Amino acid sequence: MSLDPAIQTFLTESTELLEAMEASLLRLEDTPDDADLLNAVFRAAHTIKGSAGLFGFDPIVAFTHEVESALDRIRAGKVAFSADLGACLLRCGDHMRALLEHVRGGETLPNADVDGPALLAELQRLTGASVAPSQHSLPTPQPATTEQTAAPEAGESTAATDLWHISLRFGTEVLRNGMDPLSFLRYLNTLGDIAHVTTLLDAMPELAQVDPECCYLGLEIAFSSQADKATIENVFEFVRDDCRIQIIPPRSKVSAYIDLIEALPEATERLGEILVRTGALTQSELGAGLQRQEQERSADCSGDAAASATPLGAILVQQGAVESSVVSAALDKQRQTRDRKSEENRSVRVDADKLDQLIDLVGELVIAGAGSQLLARRAGQNELVESLSTLARLVEEVRDRSLGLRMVQIGGTFQRFQRVVREVSRELGKDVTLAISGAETELDKSVVERIGDPLMHLVRNAMDHGIESPDVRVKAGKAARATLSLHAYHDSGSIVIEVSDDGAGLNRDRILSKAMERGLVVQGTALSDAEVFNLIFEPGFSTADKLSNLSGRGVGMDVVRRNVEALRGTVQLESQLGKGTVVRIRLPLTLAIIDGFLVDVAHSHYVIPLDMMVECLECGSETRTVARRQGYIDLRGEVLPVLWLRDLFDIESDSPARENIVVIQFGAQKAGLVVDALLGEAQTVIKPLSKLFARVKGISGSSILGSGDVALILDVPGLMQCATERAHQEQISIRVTSATLDDTAPAVKTS
Amino acid sequence: MAKTILIVDDSASLRQVVSIALKGAGYDVMEAVDGKDALGKLKGQKIHLIISDVNMPVMDGISFVKEVKKNATYKFTPIIMLTTESQEGKKLEGQAAGAKAWVVKPFKPEQMLNAVSKLCLA
Amino acid sequence: MEIVRESTDNIVRLSIAGELTIYAVGELMTALQAELGHPSELEIDLSGVSELDTAGFQQLYLAKREALSHGKQLRLTGHSSATRAVLEIYRMEPYFGDPVLIPAAGQP
Repeated sequence: MSLDPAIQTFLTESTELLEAMEASLLRLEDTPDDADLLNAVFRAAHTIKGSAGLFGFDPIVAFTHEVESALDRIRAGKVAFSADLGACLLRCGDHMRALLEHVRGGETLPNADVDGPALLAELQRLTGASVAPSQHSLPTPQPATTEQTAAPEAGESTAATDLWHISLRFGTEVLRNGMDPLSFLRYLNTLGDIAHVTTLLDAMPELAQVDPECCYLGLEIAFSSQADKATIENVFEFVRDDCRIQIIPPRSKVSAYIDLIEALPEATERLGEILVRTGALTQSELGAGLQRQEQERSADCSGDAAASATPLGAILVQQGAVESSVVSAALDKQRQTRDRKSEENRSVRVDADKLDQLIDLVGELVIAGAGSQLLARRAGQNELVESLSTLARLVEEVRDRSLGLRMVQIGGTFQRFQRVVREVSRELGKDVTLAISGAETELDKSVVERIGDPLMHLVRNAMDHGIESPDVRVKAGKAARATLSLHAYHDSGSIVIEVSDDGAGLNRDRILSKAMERGLVVQGTALSDAEVFNLIFEPGFSTADKLSNLSGRGVGMDVVRRNVEALRGTVQLESQLGKGTVVRIRLPLTLAIIDGFLVDVAHSHYVIPLDMMVECLECGSETRTVARRQGYIDLRGEVLPVLWLRDLFDIESDSPARENIVVIQFGAQKAGLVVDALLGEAQTVIKPLSKLFARVKGISGSSILGSGDVALILDVPGLMQCATERAHQEQISIRVTSATLDDTAPAVKTS
Repeated sequence: MAKTILIVDDSASLRQVVSIALKGAGYDVMEAVDGKDALGKLKGQKIHLIISDVNMPVMDGISFVKEVKKNATYKFTPIIMLTTESQEGKKLEGQAAGAKAWVVKPFKPEQMLNAVSKLCLA
Repeated sequence: MEIVRESTDNIVRLSIAGELTIYAVGELMTALQAELGHPSELEIDLSGVSELDTAGFQQLYLAKREALSHGKQLRLTGHSSATRAVLEIYRMEPYFGDPVLIPAAGQP
């Protein structure tokens, strides 16, 4: 039995639970009396402990057990939740995460837990619990009675049998409780060999009184087994409370059997006969035993009459009394800690790889569908074309739905920053609250996984350099408590994540002078604010000034940009001196499939992501001349830098007489791409390029068309950069109006 | 015909492990994430035994057991409650509701298999 | 559970099919007790019983017990494998005293 696939589930689940636990602990600091939050924390620890036990991760069980106990004390109101306790529990969470990392790494868990004991000691000090040595092992079921096979005693006769004798009188409710004696017998048979059974239905009342759902069964069983008494007793553990169970080990004293006969409701003669028949006793052992019992009884009668009560019965009554008091006490306690409702959580966990395979297949389906449509159109069969377009619509829906399966909310990622903000602000002596909005915004799982690091960088930077200390803020007339916001929303096929603060903002002049110092900008260049601010994303800029107090950011911003660009996204920055800074990350919703617009350059196909296209223009010869000379055209009064794909990709063939300009937009920027022909919309499955082509600029991937042709997917942000760089090279500093467009009219408009 | 067991727990890893163990022993296994989900799963099925956690979101184990006991088709189905040492009260509450068998968390897969076998041998 | 009643020449035959379990024992008890009032012989065909539990077994026992006390003939016939297994575990074949046909290997 291999549990390997389940370990992966365990790790994912535990990580999520720890995140939830952390979030609840942080919120508990504000509302320490919130029982729901406390319950959530408890449940997280409880679930992790339970699952870890299944895999035999005993150090995790042991540690989590102590945490759970502490939480239970808090829950029961024995200890009040305090900030110190919260901090300690957070560190316990970290420790659990560290233990889980060992499992993830496939390492064996360290037997000697280094940090655990110190943490637990602190936890116990804070919860006022006595320090108990933690129990590493799983609880072992306690046998009800501990007596083992009776040792023969001198002077008393023992039965000669090698068989266990099991006497059972089932309670009337066992059948209604789903406990069928048949099941116990079948299970007993797996532990040994049932040599003999006598079924007694003497307890079944007269016909009129029979309740068909009641159990009236009694069994006398002779059982041959190597199992110990506890094991045999445990067969009946679920009916122990409402059944009479008597188990007599092999070679017990004869008196044990006689006591049994005394204790049972059936007539002595009948029971004696049964015991002899099952082989528990011989006829002579029975006779001698009964006689001895008779003698003892008459001797007792002269003394104390009460002593004649059957000892077994007395024990049972006593047991019953104990049980009932335990029941009521426990039920009282239970009422105090009644469970609360919690949020709905209906989901199926699916391996991410399986989803990827599905999406891959759907991608192939899209391509195959496009191929069939193409063939049908060529064949001129209208009916087929029609039915295929219906099919295509369905496939498209399947595609959207399956992509949707991979979408996860960004809230989980955001939530992690609560703690970061809290700890960093403590560290820096700043007072910062984190405001989260748009937590329910969904994006592709693969994107979510890789956006954490850049966000972490931005958040830390904002706190280190952007947000001022409370006294500085008060002097500047701001609230002492700063606000850092994480905001997410969908915008035209992208997801936008904003990290903003109300700190000091960026100082344009100082950045500019620093950039000139570094040689990143030539003296006298006119730059917009956005361009100046974006300089801090330049590698030369940030790494050069580690300890920059340049009124804002500076450390490792180039890394952030690189990470975001690797996700086909962009970073933008807006800032106002004294007011704060907004860093805006724009990311594609998914990395797998895009709706594209197919264009042709020298009989090669290229795909432009549709959501980045604005419009298409015809490019007549005059426009072309102007554009060739200036590198831009005038688009209804706007400067539109243009790029010739033919030039960009060094295609050596002549341009056709009429070309087309595709206007693309990314963020606030626009550019025109000059292509030979417009082929129309096409769904495109992105096939990543091999490493060999990773350095090719302007291409982000490839795709196979329905016709079987390969099309290259244009990297619009990359091209955009090319276009603006070229425009800069041409030193555009004044608004150009001289270029006129003779025959430029929107030919195709797409949204 | 293999016996069918329904395991109700909000922990996916617990369900998965128990499921692997039970399937290995020849049972058919169905899973549900909470009491409400489980009640839905009972419909139109023949389930021989139910394993249910106590602490679950949406509908907890005790409420779930009470619902099962009201269900004409399942009121006599054996139910194993998953309890903890610290929750003796829950165990008794579960028993009062009609779940007479229990397994204490944390448990090993073999312990669960033993408990199941006592009530319903594969 | 389904019960089909046929009566011919002083013999009533009840054919029980399906699951003879605690969910059906109320119905079964009513059907069995209704026959006990008649003097005719009672034959219970168990060949269609797919499942028998202790509650179901108790009803068979009760019917036999009542029949014996009234001097009425009651026979169990066509024991299905499910019924044979239960009577064997409880070692109760002798009580009913009916011939139990064990089919050749490979048959249910």
